[in-house]
Amino acid sequence: MPLDNVVFWVFAPLSVATAIGMIVVRNAVHAALFLVVNFFTIAVMYLLLDAPFLFAVQIVVYAGAIMVLFLFVIMLLGVDRGDAPGERLLGQRTTAVILAVAIVAELATAIRAGIGFTTRAPGGFDAVNPGGNPSALADVLFRDYFFPFEVTSILLIVAAVAAMVLALRRSKSLSQREIETHAGDDLEAYGLAAPGAPGTVGEPSR
Amino acid sequence: MIDAPRVELWAILPVLMLFGGGLIALLASGFARRAAQAPFALFTLAALAAAAASALWLWNRETTTALEGMVSIDRLAVVATLALCGIGAFGAYLGFHYFERDDFRRNEFYALLLFALGGMALLVAAADLIVVFLAVEVLSLALYVMTALTFRRGPTEAAMKYFLLGAFASAFLLYGVAMSYGASATTSVQGLARALTGVGGSQPLALVGALLLVVGLGFKVSLVPFHMWTPDVYQGAPSPVTAFMSAATKVAVFVAMVRVLDVAFGSLAWDLAPAIAVLSAGSMILGSVLAIAQRDVKRMLAYSSVAQAGFILSSFVSPEREGIAAALFYLISYSAAVVGAFGVVMLISGGIREQTGFERFRGLGRRQPVLAALLSVFLLSLAGIPPTAGFVAKVLVFGAATSAGYWPLVLIGALASVAGAFFYLRVIALMAMQEPRGVDIADPSPLPRLVLAVPAVTVVVLGIVPGVIVPLLQEAGVLTW
Amino acid sequence: MIDLIGLTIAVPLVASGVNLLIGKRLGRRSGWIATAAMAVSFIVALGALLQMFSLPAEERTQVVTVAEWIRAGAAAVSLDLRVDPLSITMALVVTGVGSLIHLYAIGYMDHDERPGRFFGYMNLFCAFMLALVLANDFLLLYLGWEGVGLCSYLLIGFWSDRPDAARAAKKAFITTRIGDVLLMLGLFVMWVHFGSFDFDVVLGHEGSLPEIAAGTATAISLLLLGGAVGKSAQLPLHVWLPDAMAGPTPVSALIHAATMVTAGVYLVVRAHALFEISDVALAVVAVVGLAGALYGGFSSLGQYDMKRALAYSTMSQLGFMFLAAGLGFYPTAIALLVAHAFYKALLFLTSGNVMHGLHDEVDVRRLGGLRHDMPWTAALFGAGALALSGLPPFSGFFTKDVILDLASRDGATWAFVLGSLGAMVSAWYIARLYFTAFIGERRYEGSAHEASALMRTPLVVLAVGALFAGIGLELTPEGTLPMFLEPVLGHVVEGDAGPSTQVLMVLAVVVTLIGIGIAWRLYRPANQERWVSFPEREPGMAGVLAHGFYIDGLYAWIVANVGLRGAAALAWFDRTVVDGAVNGVGTLATRASGLAPIWQSGKVRRYALSFMAGGVALLLYAAVKI
Repeated sequence: MPLDNVVFWVFAPLSVATAIGMIVVRNAVHAALFLVVNFFTIAVMYLLLDAPFLFAVQIVVYAGAIMVLFLFVIMLLGVDRGDAPGERLLGQRTTAVILAVAIVAELATAIRAGIGFTTRAPGGFDAVNPGGNPSALADVLFRDYFFPFEVTSILLIVAAVAAMVLALRRSKSLSQREIETHAGDDLEAYGLAAPGAPGTVGEPSR
Repeated sequence: MIDAPRVELWAILPVLMLFGGGLIALLASGFARRAAQAPFALFTLAALAAAAASALWLWNRETTTALEGMVSIDRLAVVATLALCGIGAFGAYLGFHYFERDDFRRNEFYALLLFALGGMALLVAAADLIVVFLAVEVLSLALYVMTALTFRRGPTEAAMKYFLLGAFASAFLLYGVAMSYGASATTSVQGLARALTGVGGSQPLALVGALLLVVGLGFKVSLVPFHMWTPDVYQGAPSPVTAFMSAATKVAVFVAMVRVLDVAFGSLAWDLAPAIAVLSAGSMILGSVLAIAQRDVKRMLAYSSVAQAGFILSSFVSPEREGIAAALFYLISYSAAVVGAFGVVMLISGGIREQTGFERFRGLGRRQPVLAALLSVFLLSLAGIPPTAGFVAKVLVFGAATSAGYWPLVLIGALASVAGAFFYLRVIALMAMQEPRGVDIADPSPLPRLVLAVPAVTVVVLGIVPGVIVPLLQEAGVLTW
Repeated sequence: MIDLIGLTIAVPLVASGVNLLIGKRLGRRSGWIATAAMAVSFIVALGALLQMFSLPAEERTQVVTVAEWIRAGAAAVSLDLRVDPLSITMALVVTGVGSLIHLYAIGYMDHDERPGRFFGYMNLFCAFMLALVLANDFLLLYLGWEGVGLCSYLLIGFWSDRPDAARAAKKAFITTRIGDVLLMLGLFVMWVHFGSFDFDVVLGHEGSLPEIAAGTATAISLLLLGGAVGKSAQLPLHVWLPDAMAGPTPVSALIHAATMVTAGVYLVVRAHALFEISDVALAVVAVVGLAGALYGGFSSLGQYDMKRALAYSTMSQLGFMFLAAGLGFYPTAIALLVAHAFYKALLFLTSGNVMHGLHDEVDVRRLGGLRHDMPWTAALFGAGALALSGLPPFSGFFTKDVILDLASRDGATWAFVLGSLGAMVSAWYIARLYFTAFIGERRYEGSAHEASALMRTPLVVLAVGALFAGIGLELTPEGTLPMFLEPVLGHVVEGDAGPSTQVLMVLAVVVTLIGIGIAWRLYRPANQERWVSFPEREPGMAGVLAHGFYIDGLYAWIVANVGLRGAAALAWFDRTVVDGAVNGVGTLATRASGLAPIWQSGKVRRYALSFMAGGVALLLYAAVKI
C-alpha cells in the first residue's frame, strides 16, 4: 500500500522532529506548540494502524483538552520563565545524549530480535476487530480490563487530592501558627541544597 | 454486545476496605480540617483491622484469579496484606503522635496513608501488569504527598525529587509492560508465563520487558543504581512517613516482583538471575559502604535500606519456594526493625524540625535508656546479629541463594553485612559509650515507647523462634498457576 | 541430667536478664543471684557428667534437642546441644571456675556502683560461652563465639569512665573481629562444601572421616585457625589481650584467662578431624602455638604491671595448648586447658587481691614484701606460681611438660628444644612476679589490707585445684581425664624417638629450676636496685620486652597511616558517587571556579542520569544475551 507508506514517511520524521523540538526550544509556549503538532502526528500513526478510535481520542483529549490546560498553566505562570541561567551540569547533556542513543539502539536490537522489523501491515487485524475497532476496544476495555479501568478512578482521586494538598501550602487556610512553624526553614540543614541556589528543584515559586 | 464481566468483589475485599476507608477519611477531613486528629487515627486503625480481617478470611480460599484475571487470590497476597496492615497501623500511630505533638493538623495524612496502603494491597495481589502499574502509581502518588506533608522546605524538596524520578521510573515500568505485551500479546501474569513456556512468545522481547520492569520496580525498592533518591527522601520526609514507606513499599513491591519475576518470567529465570545478582551485589556493597560515611541517622538508615534491598533481592536468584519464603521472612523482619528504628528516631529528633545528626544520639543511653535500648534492638536486627530476626532472615536468604548456586553473591553479602555491622554498631556505641552533649529534646511521652516495644519484641521473638511463622510463609510461597 | 543440659545455659541467661533489668533495685544481692545461677549451672553439668559415667564409652556422645528453630521443608533447623566428654569437660570448667570467680567478684565489686550491670554481663558471658562449648553445630558455636566477644567488649570497657578501658574495649573488639571474619569465611566455605554446619556432617561420624579434599580442608582449617588466633590472642592478633586487663580483675580471670581465650583451642581440638585431613593446617597450628608460647613468655618478662605480665603469660600458655593440638595431642591440650583455668584464674584473682588491698596498684616496682601484710594472698599466689612453673607434682608438670615430652618422643625435636626454652621462661617470669611483689622490702606506702574471707574462700578452692589437678585428674596421657576424652579426641600414642621419658622428665625439672634460679639471681631482695632501674640502664632491651617487641606499635602505625588513607579514599568515593557518577573532572573545575553551590542545585538531574545509565546497562545485558 504505497499511500500508507507515503503518509508514514511524511509524518514519522515530523513526529520525531517535533518531539526533539519540544525538548530543545527554550520558550515554553513554543515547546507546547511543538507538543501539539507531535500529538497530531501520533494521531495520524494510529490512523495508519487502523485504530480510528484512538485517533479520535488522541486528537480530542490530548491535542484538545490537555494541551489547552498546559497552555493555560504556562500563561498563568508567565511565559518568560525560561531556564534559570548558569546551572549547566558538566557532562550532563553529552552523557544524556549518549545514553539516549544507547537505549534506542538496545531497544531496536531487542525488537529486531524479537519480532523483526517489517513494513507490512499487521496481519489478522480484522480477526481481532469484529464489528470494528471501537467496538472491539470497548469489549477489551469494559470487560477484560474493567478492573484496571476502575482502579484508574482511584488513581485520579489520589492525584487530585495530591494536587490540592500541595496547593494548600500557599493558601490562606493555613493557620498563623503553622506558618510560623515553617518560618526559618533552611534546606542546608538537610544537606539537600545550598542556600539561595538558583533553580533548586522543588523550590516553590515566590 | 459486550458480555458482562465477572465481578468478584469479595476477592479484593482488603483493597476495598482500604480504599473505602481512605475515601471516608478524605471526605471527613474535607469537612473537618481543623478537627482533632484522634478520631481519624482511630478510624484508620479500624479500617486497617477490617482489611486485615478480610485478608485472613481469604486465607483458605482456593488459589485462583478473579476480576477477569486481574487479581490473584492466594496466600502470598494474604501474608503480604497482613504485613502491610501491620506496618500501616504503626505508620498511622507514629504519624498521629508526630503531628499531634506539634499540634500540626494534617488530617489528609490518614486518607493518604489508606490510599497508599490500598495501592500496596492491590499491588501484592496484582495478577496483571496493567494492575501492577496502576497500583504502583496509586501508592507512589500518595507517598509523594505524604513526604511533603509538613510543607517545610526540606520535605517539599524531597517530595519533588521523589516525584520527578518516580515519573521517570514509571516510564520504564510502562515500557516494560509494553514490551511484555509485545512479546506475548497479553499483559496477564499467567498469560505471560504460558506464552513464554509455549511457542507463542518472543523470548528476546520478554527479556527486555522483564528488565525494564525490574528497573521500574527496582526504583521503588531503592536498588543500586536506581537508589539515588532514597537518602534525600528518607531524610527529608517526616519520620513517621519514612518509617511507613521504607517498610511498606518494600513489602509491596518485592511481593509484586515475586509474581513478575518468578511467575510471569519464570521461564527466563536462568537469563534474569545474573542481572538480578549484579543488582543485588551492587546494592549490598554500595549501600553498606556509603552508609559508613553518613553522619545523620536518617540518612544512614536510608543507605542501609539500599543494602537491605540488595539482601532481599539476593533471594530472587532462587525461584524455588524457599527463596520466596526467605524473601517474605526478610521483608517482615526488616519491616519490624525499620519501622521501629525510624519510630525511635522520630521520638529522639525533637519536634517537626527533626534533628537527626549523630550528635543527637550521643550518650542517649544515659538520658533515654528505653529509647536507646529499643533502637539498639532494631539496629542489631538490621545488622543481622543474633538473636534477632535479622540474623535468621540473612541465613534464610543466603541459604536460598546458595542453593541456587550463587555463592559468590552470598560471599559479597556476608562481607557487606560485616561492613554493615560496623555502622549499626557505631550508633549503638555512640549511644552507650559517649557522654551526652547539649540539651535533651527527646519526646518524653510513654505511649510511643510502649507501641515501639511491639516491633522490638517481634524482632526478638522471630529471632529466637522463627519457626512460628516460617511454615506459614512457606505455604505462602507456593505459587500454583 | 543430660537431657536437662539446656538449663546450664538457660539459668545464667535468665539470671543475666534479671540483673540487667532490675539490677539497680537488687543492689548487692545481684552478685549472689549471679553466683547461685552459676552454681545451679555447675550442678546440672556435674549431674550430666555423673550420668555419663554410667554409660558405656561409645554412648557418651548425645545430642539434646532443646527447641526446634525453623522447619524448612524436610530439613528442620533445631537448637541442638551436644553432650560428649569434651563438651562436658569444657562446660564444667566454665561453670566450675566461673562459679568461684563469681563468688570472688561479690567481694571484689563490693564498692562498685553498678553490680547489677556487672553480674548481668558476667552471667550473659557464661551463657554464651556454654552455648559455644555445648553447640552441636558450627552455627550455634559461632553465635556463642560472637556473644562472648560482645560480653568481653562490654566488660573490658565496664569502667567506661576510664579512657584506657574504653580504648582497650574497642581494640579488643576490633582485633578479634578480624579473626571473627576469618572464622565466618571458614564457616562459609564449610557451608558451600558440606551444605551443613552439623558437627556430625562436617567432622565425620564416629570413626569415619569427613568427605573432603585436602585442599578444601586446608582452606577451612586455616580460616578456622584465623578465628581461633583472634579469640585466643595468638600471634599476630594478640595485641588486644594485654590491654584488655583494663577491665575488672574477675573479668580478666574468667574471660581473659580461664574461658573465652581458650575457645580458640577448643575450636581447633573440636575440629581436629578437618585439621588432620590437611597436613599443612596442623603444622601451622603447632608453629603459631610455639611462637606464641615463646613470644608471650619473653614479653611477660618486660612487664612491671602484674596483670599485663599475667596476660602475656596467658598468651604463652595458650601457645603451649596450640602446640599440643598442632602436634596431635588433643587430650593433653585439653588437660593443659583445664589446669591452666585453675592456676591462671587463681593468679589473676590474687593479683586482684593486691589491687583491692592497695588502691589498684599493680606495678611491681611499687609493691614488694606483700607477704607480711597479705600472707594469704602471698601463699595463694605462690601456689598458682608453683602450678604454672611446672614443678612436680603440681598440675603444670603433668600438662606442659608432658606436651614437651610427647613432642620429643614423637621426634619433633625442634618443638621440644624451643618448648623447653619457653618452659624455662615460664618458670622465670612467674618466679619473677612472686619475688618482686611478695618478698623483699615494702616499696609501697601505707598498709595493704588482706582480702576478706569471702574473697579468700574461692581462692583456696582454686589453689587446691591448681596444685592437685595434675594428680587428682591424672592429666598424663594414660590418666583419667585423657582417657575420658578418648571417645572424642582419640588416644595419644607415645612415640619412641629420642631419649626416654624418664630422662625427659628430669630435664624438664632441671629446666624449670634453671628458670627459677635465674629469677632468684636477678630479682632477689638484695638486687632490688638493679632490677628496678633496669629500664633506665637498658632502655632498648627493656622497651622491646615491655612493648611486646613493638608489634602493637607497628599495628598502630599501619592503622594510622593506611587506615587514614583508606578513610580518605572512602570520603573521596563518597563525594564522587553521591554527588553524581559522572562528574569526572567537573567537580574540580566547578569547585575551582567557586561555583560549588550551583553544582549542587541540580542534583535530581544527576540522579536521573545515573538511573538512566543503570537502565541502559541492564538492557545492554539483554541486548548481548539476545
